[in-house]
Amino acid sequence: METHYIVSMSPHLRGAHSIERMMRTFIIGLIPPAVMALYLFGIRSLIIMVLAMATAVIVETVIEHLTNQKLTYKDCHAILTGFVLALILPSSAPWWMPVVGASVAIILGKLVFGGLGNYPFNPPLVAWVVLKLSWPERMSLFVEPHTHSQALTPLMALKEDPSLFYSYAMRDLFLGNTPGPLGTVCALAVLIGALFILYRGVIRWHIPVAFCCGVGLFAAILHGINPDVYPPVIFHLLSGGLLLGAFFLAPEPVTSPVTPKGMLLFGFLAGILTMIIRMWGAYPDGTFYAILIMNAATPLFNYLKPKEYGRVKRA
Amino acid sequence: MKGQIFLHPIWYTLLTEEHKTMALFAKGIPFSKKVMTPKLDPIDTPLPKRVILPLKQYIGEPSQPVVTKGDKVTTGQLIAAAPTDTSLPLYATIAGTVKDITDYNDYKGTPTPSIIIEGDGTDTWIEPPTKKEEKEISSYAPTEIVKRIHAAGLITTQLVPVPLATDLVPIDQPKTHLIGGQRITKKIDTLVITALDREPFLGVNRYLAGIHNKELADGIAALKMITGALYIRFVVDAHYPPATQLKDLVAADEEETTTLISLNGRRFPIGLAIPVIKAALGREVPLPYGHPRDVGVALYDMTTAIAVGKAVSTQLPQVDSLITVGGGAMPKGGIVTVRIGTPIGDVIESLGGFSTPPAKIIIGGPMTGMAHYDLTTPITKETDGLFALTHDEIQLSGDYRQCINCGLCVKVCPVNLLPGVLSLYCAKDRFDMAEADGLFQCIECGCCDYVCPSRRPMVHLFRHAKHQLMAP
Repeated sequence: METHYIVSMSPHLRGAHSIERMMRTFIIGLIPPAVMALYLFGIRSLIIMVLAMATAVIVETVIEHLTNQKLTYKDCHAILTGFVLALILPSSAPWWMPVVGASVAIILGKLVFGGLGNYPFNPPLVAWVVLKLSWPERMSLFVEPHTHSQALTPLMALKEDPSLFYSYAMRDLFLGNTPGPLGTVCALAVLIGALFILYRGVIRWHIPVAFCCGVGLFAAILHGINPDVYPPVIFHLLSGGLLLGAFFLAPEPVTSPVTPKGMLLFGFLAGILTMIIRMWGAYPDGTFYAILIMNAATPLFNYLKPKEYGRVKRA
Repeated sequence: MKGQIFLHPIWYTLLTEEHKTMALFAKGIPFSKKVMTPKLDPIDTPLPKRVILPLKQYIGEPSQPVVTKGDKVTTGQLIAAAPTDTSLPLYATIAGTVKDITDYNDYKGTPTPSIIIEGDGTDTWIEPPTKKEEKEISSYAPTEIVKRIHAAGLITTQLVPVPLATDLVPIDQPKTHLIGGQRITKKIDTLVITALDREPFLGVNRYLAGIHNKELADGIAALKMITGALYIRFVVDAHYPPATQLKDLVAADEEETTTLISLNGRRFPIGLAIPVIKAALGREVPLPYGHPRDVGVALYDMTTAIAVGKAVSTQLPQVDSLITVGGGAMPKGGIVTVRIGTPIGDVIESLGGFSTPPAKIIIGGPMTGMAHYDLTTPITKETDGLFALTHDEIQLSGDYRQCINCGLCVKVCPVNLLPGVLSLYCAKDRFDMAEADGLFQCIECGCCDYVCPSRRPMVHLFRHAKHQLMAP
């Protein structure tokens, strides 16, 4: 036979979906918060981001090369990991912090479990927890935007005096005129990026909506009980890393459930847990811890399957 | 009617076709117009010089040849008789000489004994068994109709290719199914005639819905009479307006038992048997091993209905079938009438040969069809499409990657499985766990494969697991 044809199983057509495209979409969605961080905290934030991303890619490539694995820098996941990590660091972080953090995220968070698809915890959050436990003072050293004078984030101030929330204008929280981690201060920028990734279909609405509902419901009940001590719903939704967590960290594909019911419950419980840590925990912002704890339970949520079509009960 | 989803008429006027489909069937992939829409232009082809007719025509008993090498045959002459009810008689589809009876690859790619007929260029037909009678369908006895359907060699391909006569449930002998230990006996109450194709890329049924067929009314009347269905539902594609004939059939019905349901045919896999019943009637066929008749539905497509009408009125066997041709390497796309048994190479030759070197030759549609390497594979009765795809159009799995748990496959799966988890079980040889998680519910539509960002060969893994589990 002179001509050969390819023989393979159906389907013979495939969509344009790929891991690389998915990760690129996440990165593009994170650009608005990054631009806001650059505007609010100056060139320092750019250095942190570049260092984190570069370290993540270099560490991953070197280790994969040393262990004779296929190099995976092309799928953009290492860049994304570094990017997300940079956005949840304070702007005052010294140069070695993103470097150590990105290395930890790639090695401890991703590669020890077998790379993309296998890790049980969100790698940037693993790195964030390691940094937070190792250098607690440096990780809670935040500065006022534009001025570089040391300040407390709204949630930290709330821990000191719960009634202080009246001093924060919602407009400042929404546009990002408060101290806080790089990418989380401007709620507007995070929402723009979130709309983009929702539109491109790399995340589904279930987790973010359920997350915000969980936080909102809890906050509404508390606010209803005592409006003088407990801040309103909108304050909780806009402050801290909540929006970034709800839209970019909790729905991270590998560590979140896949079934609609599972995603809704996952998001809702993460929201409740966030509020419990915020109200009664030792840390001002519980979003990242809540997501990490829920990540451990992800396989359980996958048992909440949709009803299989036409399933007949076995007699 | 029980099991049917009703929407208030006001809501129905506000909804677009896409949303109407979404309301009833929200899974699957909505293909955009850009992705390979079939052309519905009829194309004429000359008579083939030779035909290859496999004796085994579907999953069932092969028929017994009644001709020998060197015999002269005419079009429509019986060349292989059906020894049992589960096999079909085979007829010569061109006039000529029996050249050989030998092994050839059939549509599944396995060598089967086949009768090869060398054509003499003419199209001499046999005399029909009786004079053509101008009788109303209602004057025939149902057993007589079933006999004629079997004699014409008709098949239905809704689930798997089976002879139409064995698939039909006569009104007086309802079939019992054993599903999950329960005996299910249902009387057929609804006859669904679908003008949707199995895939958005195929177009035979949509083409037939758009033109006038004189046999259609006969065929529907015959099917209705045999099954005893009380209601008739025409399922049409909202993007391809049906001919006035279908609307006339609906309008002519005074008791209002006939209705037209228009669905979005670009949403794959709405044309497959199990999703179309869900989308049109809201009923769920029990899976696995279920059949539309288990929920009281007789589901046939336009092609079958027209073939039934032809077979009952003329008593001539089916010798040609309509197929959709398309793909980047095919010289032209459209609806081609071919004689059954024509090798696919000859079909492509008669259309003008490949326009560019093809990478894959597919019998069936690009989503569920089968790739072939042999251009002598014949067109058989179950063939509904012939595609020649270029290297740009196909994408090979190659070295696929780890499942990243993104959940896109869960979003599209029409039978609500977790394909990603199943594929992990199948790849790690945990077939028992895959079975417990519903492997046999999978209808192999390929939606999960289409969307997978890791490019995992899902359908391949599922079929592998099914074969391992079903192996004796």
